[in-house]
Amino acid sequence: MSPGEWLKSEFESRVDATLEWATPDNEVNYYIERAAAGAGIDADLYVGLTTEDLVRVDEALDDDLFAERGDVDGVADVREGLLFDPFDRAVPYDTGYVSLVYDGTETEAPATFEGLLDDEHAGQLIAQNPGASSTGRAFLLHTVHRFGDPDGTIEGGDGDPDYDYLDYWADLQENDVRVLGSWDDAYAAWSEGEAPMVVSYSTDQVFASQEGENLEEHQIRFLNDQAYANPEGMAVFADADEPDLARRFMSFVLEPEVQGEIAQRNVAFPATDTATLPEDYAELAQAPADPVTFTYDELQGSVDGWVEDWERQYAGN
Amino acid sequence: MGGSKTGSDSTPGTEDGVSDDVDSGGPTAAVGQRLAALADRFDADLLTLLAVATSAVLVVAFYYPVATVLVEAVVVDGAVTLAVFAEILRDPFYVGELARLFAGESPVAVARALLSPDRRLGIVGFTAYQAALSTVASVALGLPAAYLLARFEFPGRRTLRSLTIVPFVLPSIMVAVGFVATFGDRGTLNAVLATVGLPPVDLLFTLEAVVIAHAFYNAPLVARVTTAAWESVDASAVETARSLGAGPTRAFYDVVAPQVYPAVLTGAALTFVFTFGTFPIVLALGGFELATVEVFVYRLVRDLSYAEAAALAVIELVISLAVLLAYLRYEARSSVQSRGVRPLPRRPLHPPALTAREVLPRVGLAVYAAVAALIFLAPIASMILASVTGGDGALTLEHYRFLAQRQRTGAAFQVRPWPAIRNSLVFATAATLVALPMGVVVAVLTTRKYRGRKLVDAAAMAPLAVSGIIVGLGLLRGLVFGVEVAGWRIAATGAAAIVVAHAVSGYPVVVRTVAPGLEGLDRSLVESARALGASRVRALRDVELPLVWPAVVAGAAFAFAISIGEFTATVVLATGADAYTMPVAIERFIGRRLGPATAMGVVLLVVTGVSFVVIERLGGEYRGL
Repeated sequence: MSPGEWLKSEFESRVDATLEWATPDNEVNYYIERAAAGAGIDADLYVGLTTEDLVRVDEALDDDLFAERGDVDGVADVREGLLFDPFDRAVPYDTGYVSLVYDGTETEAPATFEGLLDDEHAGQLIAQNPGASSTGRAFLLHTVHRFGDPDGTIEGGDGDPDYDYLDYWADLQENDVRVLGSWDDAYAAWSEGEAPMVVSYSTDQVFASQEGENLEEHQIRFLNDQAYANPEGMAVFADADEPDLARRFMSFVLEPEVQGEIAQRNVAFPATDTATLPEDYAELAQAPADPVTFTYDELQGSVDGWVEDWERQYAGN
Repeated sequence: MGGSKTGSDSTPGTEDGVSDDVDSGGPTAAVGQRLAALADRFDADLLTLLAVATSAVLVVAFYYPVATVLVEAVVVDGAVTLAVFAEILRDPFYVGELARLFAGESPVAVARALLSPDRRLGIVGFTAYQAALSTVASVALGLPAAYLLARFEFPGRRTLRSLTIVPFVLPSIMVAVGFVATFGDRGTLNAVLATVGLPPVDLLFTLEAVVIAHAFYNAPLVARVTTAAWESVDASAVETARSLGAGPTRAFYDVVAPQVYPAVLTGAALTFVFTFGTFPIVLALGGFELATVEVFVYRLVRDLSYAEAAALAVIELVISLAVLLAYLRYEARSSVQSRGVRPLPRRPLHPPALTAREVLPRVGLAVYAAVAALIFLAPIASMILASVTGGDGALTLEHYRFLAQRQRTGAAFQVRPWPAIRNSLVFATAATLVALPMGVVVAVLTTRKYRGRKLVDAAAMAPLAVSGIIVGLGLLRGLVFGVEVAGWRIAATGAAAIVVAHAVSGYPVVVRTVAPGLEGLDRSLVESARALGASRVRALRDVELPLVWPAVVAGAAFAFAISIGEFTATVVLATGADAYTMPVAIERFIGRRLGPATAMGVVLLVVTGVSFVVIERLGGEYRGL
């Protein structure tokens, strides 16, 4: 059962209210458009906000789309580094890590970004379009984090000021990386054996073991012991009809057993450090030693340019 | 067709109307004349009424919504500007060497640069280049199929003809799955090559793979419209040519080819426009090196950079319309008059005699059948196989069990299979019924002679040429959010809005299949009917449409197919309601494993396949009318 359905019945069993999910195809952009058109928001709470979404919302709209989170029980339990909203609107409820997944019977993934440039890994990696896919974008952002950007706003962890993420991608492209459209495209091609490594989630083995697959073919690699973290949050709409009920729902979501359920059902990691999870969960759902992510302030005004510069270099026809 | 039915009510008037041109002053004749005049008025009004209704639908469900987005290309922060266009046109990234032209360099220098081996095409240039290649491939793969279907008789021919359109409706994720399984490193093709001792081919993630996938989608279109035209060739014209001493080859070039040619061009022009706006399949089978304009429109819209997205979409639109306009001018020049009613006799697949003339075409068709099996059947077979393969590689029905279980226990906000199937069929049927009169009316209007009609004709094709992403955003703004009038917000979502949006997407193909036939009709036939007192609508219904009936059926099948396959407008307009269709269900069922999505894809395959057979059977029975 999906977390949405479980959350609905669990919440409704505790509170005298009816919870209705809506799943517009263009996600938060749908509500940005509604607000821009003055068409009314029609919802109380948004679930599934990322740091980038918030940056986009704030750039697009003059008025506030979301209200401050206010009084939510359990916010104090949220793990350090996950509270991604500098204006205290979004409340994180889970996080995922984007890493390499590789077929251990075909190759041994390198330990570092530089290793991906070795001859033995030529043509072995499938990534996704950072303009359309969140895993693709996370991987691109990870390379910016590692190698820095050309104007030096981001220094990069490689310690070389003359080598930025675009240089790295030029080398990666030289080594025949494949950048497909969506995560589905990439994962399907990887599953068919088109290449032994793919950019995906670090929870891959949870699914693989559920489906009785050979875990040797589903190995996880954290490049430089890192992975890009994509925390997901929820926020109350500024003109919600039921803001108090929405906040009550947020408190509910942060409860230890609910956090455990969400993590398992979404196959992700809980946002709080008090979540109730089975002992063996961490065996299959792997977390990196050094999770990295950009803050709201670092993304603001930069992320569009990073993606665009990458596009211009990569697709220069 | 609503129009034709109403036309038949005027029978009393038209019967008496025979006396119109006879000089008789009797009272009965006078009444008859008046009745005829009245009926004529009504019929003329009916055509006008249909034309007005068509325009209204287009404005509400297409031009206005799209305009709300495209206007952002020229209105930035409240001021009118062409700066966004100027920036794109001067940017080599988008327009390649042509950017230098817009930057003020001499055309000679630009032409020289374009001829040099290291020229830059730019994203727009590359998009046109791959569309041109895809068009050539689609025509090359579509024509032999048309030849087979139009000229030969064999068991299952009609069913095969109906099923040719099936690839056209398949969601890109299904095609990607099928293509990887067929043309991938470990795919069927390489397995076959290995058994006959040939080296493997590395087709995936190349331009070739993308072009073949585009042919997979569009060769059926070329085949279907060409078959319709070929079947409309009148046997007596060929017989006349033969009796005048023309050999079979000569008769083909002089009589058959000129009538089939415009249809081939129709297919080619539509293919170019469709593949020029291609989006997910390019990145699924090619990779970002092969990114097309639409990839950037999508990213810009996602990042809310509307001005640039709209400007790119306008450039895309202008190029597509220019191609359509060029084709329309050619179509007008090359139209051949025909009055075909009796189709050419079909030949058996077994050669009646062992002569080169009889055997060679059949050998050619056999080779073609092998190629077609690889390109069309193998990917579809792979999709079906994927739907019955589990994570461990063993055969299983678990994905279909997932569908059944989702049907039984799916939550209110989840997509369930049966409503998706039902909605798809209902919407497609309704959209076809709306698109047919729209298409026929526009076809009639564009075959009349007046200045600028080619422009009107091209503008009527706009729904094919505007970026799907822009249409989706426009529908969100124009229909879902609606317009505020006197404090009331008028909005339209749900089933009716989806039907109208689908009809708008489908009707241009009806126009394109029907118009060349109407244009090519011998005018004297219509004039005789009119002289005999038939009203304009009656002449259309009783004389013209039956003569181009195969084209009408082909148009209906495509309107149906476009509705079944439509995704962007459907997800936008189905918000909150339970109005989702099969492609939406497929998209929602995509998970880490594609099994459930492919199972739903096979359901789509079967449902649409059966629908096409039914449509063409119904259409065939109608023919004698």
